[in-house]
Amino acid sequence: MFDFFIHAVSVAAIYALVAVSLNIQAGYAGLLNLGHIAFVGVGAYAVGIAHHLQWHPGLGWAMGIAAAAVLGFFMSRLGRNLGADYWGIATLAVAEIVRTIALNEDWLTGGAQGISGVTPLWSSLDAGSARWAFLATVLLVLALAMGLSSRLGAGRFGRALRLLREEPALATSMGYDLVALKSKATVASAMLAAVAGAFLGHYISYVGPDFMLASETFLIWTMLMIGGLGHVGGVVLGAFLVQAIYASMPFAKDWLGIGSDVAGAVRLGLIGCLLLACLLWRKDGLVPETLRKL
Amino acid sequence: MFQFVLDVLIRTADLALVAVGLSAVYALVKFPNVSHVQYAALGAFLTLAGQRLGLPFALAMALSCVVTGAVAVLLNTLVFRRLLRSGPAIAMIGSLAVSMVMVALMLGVAGSRPLRYDFEIVSPLVIAGARVSHAQAYSIGAALLVLGGFAWLLYRTPMGRRMRALATNRALAEATGIDAHQVTNLISLISGALAAIGGTMLAMTSDVHVNLGTDLLLPVFAAAIIGGLGNPLGAAAGALLIAVAETAVTNLNFGWLVGQPLAFLPVTYIGAASFLFLLVALLFKPYGLFDREVRRV
Repeated sequence: MFDFFIHAVSVAAIYALVAVSLNIQAGYAGLLNLGHIAFVGVGAYAVGIAHHLQWHPGLGWAMGIAAAAVLGFFMSRLGRNLGADYWGIATLAVAEIVRTIALNEDWLTGGAQGISGVTPLWSSLDAGSARWAFLATVLLVLALAMGLSSRLGAGRFGRALRLLREEPALATSMGYDLVALKSKATVASAMLAAVAGAFLGHYISYVGPDFMLASETFLIWTMLMIGGLGHVGGVVLGAFLVQAIYASMPFAKDWLGIGSDVAGAVRLGLIGCLLLACLLWRKDGLVPETLRKL
Repeated sequence: MFQFVLDVLIRTADLALVAVGLSAVYALVKFPNVSHVQYAALGAFLTLAGQRLGLPFALAMALSCVVTGAVAVLLNTLVFRRLLRSGPAIAMIGSLAVSMVMVALMLGVAGSRPLRYDFEIVSPLVIAGARVSHAQAYSIGAALLVLGGFAWLLYRTPMGRRMRALATNRALAEATGIDAHQVTNLISLISGALAAIGGTMLAMTSDVHVNLGTDLLLPVFAAAIIGGLGNPLGAAAGALLIAVAETAVTNLNFGWLVGQPLAFLPVTYIGAASFLFLLVALLFKPYGLFDREVRRV
């Protein structure tokens, strides 16, 4: 039971890291990226491929972060003259293309089977302490990312991004290069997401194309919208809430004696309803973004 | 060759019915409604439910159209109109939430196993050496008929003129006394019904399963965007283009490129073809191939 708790918190912390990363582009800059999960997938696959080729894991991390940065740059350049909703669809398509490639290029990614047996972090420790060590590492990185992200958000860069979100014409007239700003936000966010992906790959010691299903991006968006788009603490809270629903489903399934299809449906429906209720009645989320009044 | 044309037509019929409705509603509400593809899945499931209850197939499909259309109208008035006050991005995320709930309902009621309509097994028709099943022939016929009817409604009736007026200049149209809510509701009803027909036709040629809507998401959006979101007949042309691209990718022999007698792309790359098509279209023609308006992007 206690092991399960550690597991749930570890997974929640990894997802919180993804949520913090998406918040940089979606929260601060208001970019509607529906293909964010591709960055996580790239990070995870880099770790998996490094393991497969028996490279040093550190090299896998570096590769993943670099590849995600390139993909992020490509995505933001792709959208330099698109409207927000058109760009959302375009990013969705990019993520699906990345997933299709991962599914088909067996020689690199193991195809639909994925790559299993990725060495966990702290594999030199015994099983019990390795779990704790992993949790501590993820929480430490999460805290660092939160600190960094709120500093970024409160500084000049974050203010520029908010201006771009609220008044793009004003931002242009003040001399900001909107395309460069968007690219920077997307690349920063992609790199952080790749870190989360690398953690995920090490943690479940498996990477597969199912990591990059579009529904995963929607899940992360749900975390952001429930928690409070633009507020770092809020999105982390949202991530933990959604993961709490996910983690409690196996118990609900046993108590109510329902089948796995129904349990999956209840989980999906609950999260959908929560998201919809938030959008309708609490548009800014549980912890709204605090904007400095002048 | 004729088999190729038929394959393209079958795929076009499936995509066009859903894409046309999506595009028509977009013209009025100005946000991409992601849950529109789930209307197709809902329609397919409702037809199945009707048939399991003992109704003849045509009646079951008609009922499914009415119910799906009503669901579309209800969602539009109760959810999307409110969300739109906070902007199109919020409305789009809201439509994501709606599609999650709809998938959850279908998964909970019908389960995740693929189901089939109850048809007698008949040998396929053979036309000029190409094989086409009865279901596929019906699907092409129904799509042509329905799309023709929809085009007639849009371009030959006062209702269609009101809809086009609203889409072009909302403020001016409302000032001339057009009831925007009424028109939007009617178009939602029709687009829901079209999606239900499209979903049923798609399920008739394969099977009814819970991912039916989600699998349609990108091809349908690709078709609607290539045709120019808000231009319903453009969406039908977009569906044709996507269908040609998807069918060509799997049927073309790339052997001459790699110096082997036979080299085909894997079937799983079908999806990637249409997404790539979508990205290229967005890069060079962000407002679709048939956009005649001059504007700054």
